[in-house]
Amino acid sequence: MSAVAIIAPIVVSSWPAISAAVASAAVSMGFTVAREVAQQGLNQDLRAGSNTVTLDVPNCSAVTGTLGRDQRIQLARDGVNVEFSRDARGRDSVCVTGEGLTDEQLRAIGDEIAGRTVQHYVLAKLKSEMAGKGMDLVEETVEQNQAIRLRVRHWQN
Amino acid sequence: MKAREYEITIGPTGEVEIHVEGFQGKGCVEAIRFFEQMIGQTQELRHTSGYYEPDEDVTLHNQQRH
Repeated sequence: MSAVAIIAPIVVSSWPAISAAVASAAVSMGFTVAREVAQQGLNQDLRAGSNTVTLDVPNCSAVTGTLGRDQRIQLARDGVNVEFSRDARGRDSVCVTGEGLTDEQLRAIGDEIAGRTVQHYVLAKLKSEMAGKGMDLVEETVEQNQAIRLRVRHWQN
Repeated sequence: MKAREYEITIGPTGEVEIHVEGFQGKGCVEAIRFFEQMIGQTQELRHTSGYYEPDEDVTLHNQQRH
């Protein structure tokens, strides 16, 4: 072994890439994708009569040239609704709504899905780039803490 | 042909830990840079004993004079 590095992810992506990561993260957390829509304005019907919190997604931004309209993907699980959206300026946010849940509980769900979205975005990007470089993924496992571990082999001259 | 091995752990918030194996010398830094360009910004880098071995493309010639 020669080195160990810790890398903080920076997500600069188009909407299709980020929405694919949201969907993949959602499934891993037991959510279902309710719908994906592109529309102006916030979807009020999810929020009526329930507690709601909205969080920014850190280190996440749109690829220049792909902005211009609001885009959102809606997820649902056990009475909790999550809307992951990108506004016209490219800002990503997560809105969590749930009846009978405190703001703290909703915030924890939002933080988790934001983190897991970044995790799944990084996973997809790594797999795609490594395949392009001829690297072989020999093992993929999910740890108890939901970390994803990859073992990769690369033959070089 | 030499086998390079990478163990990559993507945490639940997206942070990535990479163990680079199979390199001698500073080749591991190039490997880390490849992943950094792909993912984000290196926050911490620790070298293990292999880093201090001679680079693989350097041939050493020792001459002893009596």
